[in-house]
Amino acid sequence: MRKISEGAEAVIYAARMLGRNVIVKERVAKGYRIKELDEQLRRQRTKTEAKIQSTLYEKGVRVPGVILVGKYFVVMERVQGKTLNRMAGVGKAHDRRSMGMAMAEAGRVLGTIHRLGVSHGDFTTANIMQDRSGRLWVIDFGLAAFTNSEEEMALDVLLMKRSVDSGMYERFIKSYKLGFGGKASAVLGRLGEIEKRGRYQTRTLDSA
Amino acid sequence: MATVGIESSAHTFGVGVVEDGRVLANVKSMYRISDRGLIPMKVADFHQKHAGAVIRRALKEAGVERVEAVGYTMGPGLGPCLRVGQLSAIVLSRITGAPLYPVNHAAAHVEITRHIYGLRDPLVLYVSGGNSQILGLEDKPQKHYHVYGETFDVGVGNMLDSFARAAKLKPAWGSSVARLAEGGRYIAMPYTVKGMDFTFTGLLTNAMKLLKSGEKRDVAFSLQETAFSMLCEATERALLLTGKREVIASGGVAQSRRLRDMLGVMAKSHGRKFYVAPDEFNSDNGAMIALVAEKMHTAVGMKPKIKGSDYGIKQRYRIEDFMIRWG
Ligand SMILES: Nc1ncnc2c1ncn2[C@@H]1O[C@H](COP(=O)(O)OP(=O)(O)OP(=O)(O)O)[C@@H](O)[C@H]1O
Ligand SMILES: [Mg+2]
Repeated sequence: MRKISEGAEAVIYAARMLGRNVIVKERVAKGYRIKELDEQLRRQRTKTEAKIQSTLYEKGVRVPGVILVGKYFVVMERVQGKTLNRMAGVGKAHDRRSMGMAMAEAGRVLGTIHRLGVSHGDFTTANIMQDRSGRLWVIDFGLAAFTNSEEEMALDVLLMKRSVDSGMYERFIKSYKLGFGGKASAVLGRLGEIEKRGRYQTRTLDSA
Repeated sequence: MATVGIESSAHTFGVGVVEDGRVLANVKSMYRISDRGLIPMKVADFHQKHAGAVIRRALKEAGVERVEAVGYTMGPGLGPCLRVGQLSAIVLSRITGAPLYPVNHAAAHVEITRHIYGLRDPLVLYVSGGNSQILGLEDKPQKHYHVYGETFDVGVGNMLDSFARAAKLKPAWGSSVARLAEGGRYIAMPYTVKGMDFTFTGLLTNAMKLLKSGEKRDVAFSLQETAFSMLCEATERALLLTGKREVIASGGVAQSRRLRDMLGVMAKSHGRKFYVAPDEFNSDNGAMIALVAEKMHTAVGMKPKIKGSDYGIKQRYRIEDFMIRWG
């Protein structure tokens, strides 16, 4: 087993299991919070992640298949690729075309996930991977939930809205509507309300 | 040559004097919050009454002869309170002939911390009464503090104050909650983090409900642990995403020893350094306004081209709308 990444919550190891390339995502103890809270969060998120990821996998959404679940770790298929926020030259002109295509695909996938009654909870470019053949994989379901709440879904859209510029967001939202179908407009209406709540005004990368 | 800064966004009327980045005076007069909280007009009256004396005392303490520039808090804050500071600053500027600079309150808290420790590009947890944000400098389109994440509803300070009032404690920026929390035991509470954003109302509602049945001390303890853990987690995620090398906390709630400990442990676990300014600069103060006004005054292209109509107040002044035109 080889450590390949250290996220905010988890340490990721690469391994081989039953002839397949897998990763082990282990939620490590956080010394800054009290033990009871720490263990409760790690247990609950590990369980949530495995459960929701498996459900989505069975329904045909492109997420890494879950192979094994422990108290604080999940073993899942390894995606051979990079997260979108780490793609070479993000934001540079010659990459905008491929980024635009990725955004359109990301919108469609989020729409599908929402249609299936799941919110992601941290839907940013850091939690979408692109493999070598250009396909997108959504990862990191620890903050996800089974829900039909328009608010939760609107927050997923809002997180993405804030992490890309307005052109990219437009492409994202167009295919989000296609992926979700009819109910997308209710979510987008809710998004408008959240933004109007006053305290919260949307910041995009192109607003000063 | 000295720059004077006037702060009056909430319950403190503060006047600071700064010269070449050194704080020569930092005088405050504070309105004591009553059990009913903060009534803006009353606080403004109080500020009005003390403004002249506080300004005179600060100038005397600093022992300066000439005022080079005057800064005041433009926002965010409570309208009537901001107004008193703004008008005092205009008068002072007229009397001394020194140019006037409107300053963003949140940016001033952060900038004084960055200045004290000489940091170029820290990740910031800004935690005050009405605000809770994770910030960092971004260059485009112009240098400003970008908000990576923030509360979707109330600020952590106001949340702790509301709880303190419900628990019949003295509302003093969460420090009375901290005292009550000592020796408490943990009860599970709603914990809501969305990536780098978070919400506090669910947590507060739950804590209020538990007050009726549970042990007060345990509720206070669990509320504080949960809220601070949420802030810490969101900050940690931003730290790893941005790759910044230092973490700072600023604003009123950054005076919490528990929150500082947590952030310190978190930063260290990733090999990053954590900094926090002395308490006098985390509670509201005029020195930070003076410091930023001095930087604006010195910065290229910031010679007072500002028109009279720009010397307003902005109750909802967002930090990303304030340009940082210096290093
Ligand atoms: N199935 C996978 N295949 C390959 N690499 C992965 C896979 N899952 C995660 N990774 C890598 O590990 C990194 C961290 O994973 P993940 O986002 O799941 O955890 P985390 O970042 O610690 O969680 P959080 O975002 O809540 O902090 C990813 O950015 C990615 O580079
Ligand atoms: Mg992640």
